[in-house]
Amino acid sequence: MTSSSRWSAGRVLLLLGRLTLAVVFLAAAYGKLRPQNAVPWTLASLKITPASLGLSMTFFAMQVDSYQLLPPRMVSPFAHALPWIELGLGILLLTGFALRYVSLASALLLALFYGVVIRSYALHLAINCGCFGPNEKLDSWTLVRDGCLFALGVAVTIGAFVVHRRNRVAVAA
Amino acid sequence: MNRDNKGNNEISNGHPLRILTPVVAALAMCFCLALCAAPSVAQTSAEWERLSAEKSLGNPNAPIKMIVYDDYECPVCDELYEQTLRPLINDYVASGKVYLVHRDFPLPMHLYSRQAARWVNAAARIGKFEAVERAIFDNQMAWSEYGTENPKGIIKPFVQAALTPAEFKRVERLMQGCEGNSQSQIKGCVVDEAIQRDFAQGELLPVRGTPTIVISAHGQQYPPMQGAISWPILRQFFDQLLNQK
Repeated sequence: MTSSSRWSAGRVLLLLGRLTLAVVFLAAAYGKLRPQNAVPWTLASLKITPASLGLSMTFFAMQVDSYQLLPPRMVSPFAHALPWIELGLGILLLTGFALRYVSLASALLLALFYGVVIRSYALHLAINCGCFGPNEKLDSWTLVRDGCLFALGVAVTIGAFVVHRRNRVAVAA
Repeated sequence: MNRDNKGNNEISNGHPLRILTPVVAALAMCFCLALCAAPSVAQTSAEWERLSAEKSLGNPNAPIKMIVYDDYECPVCDELYEQTLRPLINDYVASGKVYLVHRDFPLPMHLYSRQAARWVNAAARIGKFEAVERAIFDNQMAWSEYGTENPKGIIKPFVQAALTPAEFKRVERLMQGCEGNSQSQIKGCVVDEAIQRDFAQGELLPVRGTPTIVISAHGQQYPPMQGAISWPILRQFFDQLLNQK
């Protein structure tokens, strides 16, 4: 494999990694913002409306609270901000805008999630993960999944910085 | 004559009537058996519903219904009871906003949780659920396997302290034959039926750990929520549900 074909493969991998992360963040945001009432599972019940939005975020606040990590006064602001942060990161990753900083922010957020999941698992907290919506148990699978996502976040960040540096060198040459 | 003979031969050689008769008889017997069995099943179900109502607090017609699947020996259940359910009972349950339903989900890994659930269920049968549940949770650190007291698993004195002597006598009578955790011992204990039914209901959800909370309002049920939730956060959710049209 020549240097240029390796370089192209690296760019393709970066694109795939970035798009995967984007989909993950968008799915996580949607899981938190969509109506949380379990029944009935109709198309209408999956549609986000202004009325359902507040209720969904407060429901998510209960899931955040079950981690027993934040004081109650901080739970609500955090739970109300997180889905929008995930939505923003998802859109930015999808467009590729300011990729170095966005991927770095994504990796840091994924590191935070991974740390919290490890802590909860070590404490044997029988709670829901709340990562991609309600009723998702936090177990060893969550630990593996979040570890993989964190590794992907780091890989995309490194890739974004490497590509940026190479592009700068190419422009200078 | 010939016709008669022909007819007899047809019957003896597998006439449809001859085949149908035992089938119809068997079906009739099954129907009778089902009819005889049905009242006992319905009675058990009605009894469970009655006991379930005894293990519930507040107005059954409240706009919000909250079911809590609890294990009396689980420390997080104790935390939920002391820090969230107590203010909830004193405030939103007392004012008729929330109907709080207790369901037993004694986890097999806990040595004394089933025994504690039996005491509470026996107390519920005489209308003393709330007092005994409070006594059990208030003294969890004294009787549970994680507690500091020895010997462990001694629940009776705490139940006795929560009841009058006459009430305790009635509860003690209901607790006859309710020792141990094995399947044969479960069969000999009258209050275990309700615990098993609660457990089966939980498994249908499914309950994956305790405490698990299920909230329903405006005809809609929300997904089961596991773990302890602090009262200010739960109240926020209830307020939003109550403000919904």
